[in-house]
Amino acid sequence: MSTFKQHSVLPGFNLALGFTLIYLSLIVLIPLSAAFFRTAELTWTEFWTVVTTPRVLASYRLTFGASFAAALTNALFGLLIAWVLVRYQFTGKRLIDALIDLPFALPTAVAGIALTALYAGNGWIGQFLEPLGIKVAFTPIGIYVALTFIGLPFVVRTVQPVLEDIETELEEAAAMLGANRLQIFLRIIFPAIFPALMTGFALAFARAIGEYGSVIFIAGNMPMVSEITPLLIITKLEQYDYAGATAIAVVMLVISFILLLIVNLLQWWSRHRNALA
Amino acid sequence: MTTITISYPDKARRTAITQEPVWVRRTLISLALIFLALFLFVPLISVFYEALKKGVDVYFAAITEPDARAAIRLTLIAAAIAVPLNLIFGVAAAWAIAKFEFRGKNILTTLIDLPFSVSPIIAGLIYVLVFGLQGWLGPWLAEHDIKIIFAVPGIVLATVFVTVPFIARELIPLMQAQGTEEEEAAVILGASGWQTFWRITLPNIKWGLLYGVILCNARAMGEFGAVSVVSGHIRGQTNTLPLHVEILYNEYNYAAAFAVASLLALLALITLAIKTFVESKVTQQKTKE
Amino acid sequence: MSIEIRHLSKQFGTFAALRDVNLEIQSGELLALLGPSGSGKTTLLRVIAGLETADSGQVLFNNEDTTRQSIRDRQVGFVFQHYALFRNMTIFENVAFGLRVRPKDCRLKDAEIRERVTNLLQLVQLDWLADRYPHQLSGGQRQRIALARALAVEPKVLLLDEPFGALDAKVRKELRIWLRRLHDDMHITSVFVTHDQEEALEVSDRVVVMNEGRIEQIGTPDAVYEQPANPFVYEFLGHVNLFHGRIHRGRAIISDIEIEAPEHAEAENLAAIAYVRPHDIEIDRVTNGESALAAHIVHIVSIGPIVRLELAHDDSSNKNLVQVEISKDRFRELQLTKGDRVYIKPRRLELFPSHASANSIH
Repeated sequence: MSTFKQHSVLPGFNLALGFTLIYLSLIVLIPLSAAFFRTAELTWTEFWTVVTTPRVLASYRLTFGASFAAALTNALFGLLIAWVLVRYQFTGKRLIDALIDLPFALPTAVAGIALTALYAGNGWIGQFLEPLGIKVAFTPIGIYVALTFIGLPFVVRTVQPVLEDIETELEEAAAMLGANRLQIFLRIIFPAIFPALMTGFALAFARAIGEYGSVIFIAGNMPMVSEITPLLIITKLEQYDYAGATAIAVVMLVISFILLLIVNLLQWWSRHRNALA
Repeated sequence: MTTITISYPDKARRTAITQEPVWVRRTLISLALIFLALFLFVPLISVFYEALKKGVDVYFAAITEPDARAAIRLTLIAAAIAVPLNLIFGVAAAWAIAKFEFRGKNILTTLIDLPFSVSPIIAGLIYVLVFGLQGWLGPWLAEHDIKIIFAVPGIVLATVFVTVPFIARELIPLMQAQGTEEEEAAVILGASGWQTFWRITLPNIKWGLLYGVILCNARAMGEFGAVSVVSGHIRGQTNTLPLHVEILYNEYNYAAAFAVASLLALLALITLAIKTFVESKVTQQKTKE
Repeated sequence: MSIEIRHLSKQFGTFAALRDVNLEIQSGELLALLGPSGSGKTTLLRVIAGLETADSGQVLFNNEDTTRQSIRDRQVGFVFQHYALFRNMTIFENVAFGLRVRPKDCRLKDAEIRERVTNLLQLVQLDWLADRYPHQLSGGQRQRIALARALAVEPKVLLLDEPFGALDAKVRKELRIWLRRLHDDMHITSVFVTHDQEEALEVSDRVVVMNEGRIEQIGTPDAVYEQPANPFVYEFLGHVNLFHGRIHRGRAIISDIEIEAPEHAEAENLAAIAYVRPHDIEIDRVTNGESALAAHIVHIVSIGPIVRLELAHDDSSNKNLVQVEISKDRFRELQLTKGDRVYIKPRRLELFPSHASANSIH
């Protein structure tokens, strides 16, 4: 008997696992490895030069900065929205709950042109901001707006179920012991939802870093100013600079994998804490 | 992307000591609604507004012209291939992961999620590296006159890549929660593997399956970045709906761009409606148990 | 059908679930596998069913090795602890499932299936629930449906995993009696797993007491209760009082009392533990000449016709409280109240040398 798999009377394991592994290898793993093999053709110095030119560095700063700001906004307002949806009753709540997932369902290109139209100088929202000296469309702020839009559901949907699971008795017990609402929130509720909040933040951040469709319309795409890293990859590709595009892609991939690892650790932490409670 | 969440209506009913004062509640609700209005509702409405601004005639002309029809056709083809493939994959992966204990299961589960953490641009790029002219298989493909990149197969492949995890990640937790006892009972009663799957497992996961298919389909039809890299943007031939939107927009043909975009927005709304319906079904099923 | 189990061992990682288990089950017998959680009883049941495979050893049905037999060919009926009813099917279809999935050439006709399922539903007295779904039934009803479903395929062996575990106390008692009667009518070889000693003693023909993957004792309910083979069985079957003492040449000495222990005639001043059931202790206000232990009453609990007293020794070497059960009549006769001084004496006890008990009691 092999120790690889525990005995089971259910059939189909070999077929199911075999198909899963072959499919995953052909569609995901082998193509992904192509990026690393291509980059390995460069020497380390060549690689380092390509991924650290001023234009590339500026794109990292912009991509990570805007993504971080957007994820932070999502954490704050995502928590607020999850709280309001779980705790309060108001008209239209069910509809709003359903629409939270709109950024997942709406194609990014549609989101991109809609946000651009809104925040342009003559747009519904832009016309009020322009007199105040705030330009959103075609600036880094526009990128922040687009990334906030696409990342919104992550925090809401990770925090919501945890918030629902907090037992009212826990809060009642704290209240009986003399805690006020703010103390109850800070000491009882917030620690309980913190791992979920961090997970949501990390998911929104990871998604924002790789985002392309919603950003390119609103960004302006000026090198050194409003050019995100994914766009830079495309630009290099269109110039047939495969090596350059791939090298930058590898940097992004490595960062994405690290984020994936962090998200997994956070989710493990969250489950672990819930299991202890 | 989300797992199915169930909300308990009675959780909102609270006594005075576990409830914030009215003014706090109103402020928080208002803040949330203002934020959602600015970032969700107004953009959604603006799509339809911009689409119909120049009148219904312009709208229908934009979505029925030959290039738009070709884009619709290609989008449907890509989804019609990607969704069934990922459906079979999702069921197979969930069967292996949820019903059996084996080594490396956690790694496999993480690998399935991998496409979600890869930028769509990179998803497109890696297929160029494999199938493009300078790619691994490029020379061989050119010799045999097979076009994948800048052609329909590339678009389908990129779509399959970005939608790989959708159905699997809905089914895995669902099937894990349901355990293996019903299947074991069926086997003891003499059912074969296929009988067990068709009569026991499949009916139990049908709503989760539909949920995954809906989300997978929405992404398949709406994917932009990955498809953009491998498409070549040939009007009427390798343009999907989202790419068609981009072309029209870049030609300053805003009314037409938004008209086509409104089709995709409508698809998103239908997706959300079915999703909400399925969620309520799942909640019903859960409360029954 | 008879079942024979030979040298069965099963390891889960570092945990030994079964260690060289040997057992013979006679045809038509109703056997209980009794033990605490982690004792290997459920694993043994699942190995008999074919749901698990043992690392070594054999399971024989009617002297035929089943190791190579597929689960479908074993013809066992299995009732799961949580019933595992098919939630997407009606009760009728649940019971009919085993008949419907048979290969075409040996499948019954629809009318025959209908008849057999209806008969089974009548047997479990739930024919009026045929069109309901599992979630619409109570726990006790689901249990009976699970049994009907297992019986539908006319199994040669019926295996039940904690059949009453998930039910509340009253339903449990009713179903226990019902299952015993059903077995008496059908005489199908049956094995059930339980951690409830009362259940095992009340329902089964024979009880197999298991602990840490081993069989500690096999015997009729009376035998295992009255003559436990070792301290573990003693402790597991009902409450028991422990008295530390010594055995010396066929006599046991516990504090002030001496008792005949002929089976330990060889012992030379050996440390021993005496096991005494609460109802095997005599209690009185006076010593009437014989040697007895002095104690005082710490706690009195009255449960129906029985009064349970908790006593503290005056002798400081035995620190544990002693539990004594007497009838309410005797309690009234003695007019006992809390704090009273009394004399107790074991009526019956079982002696085990101390080192033996140290291995199996935690």
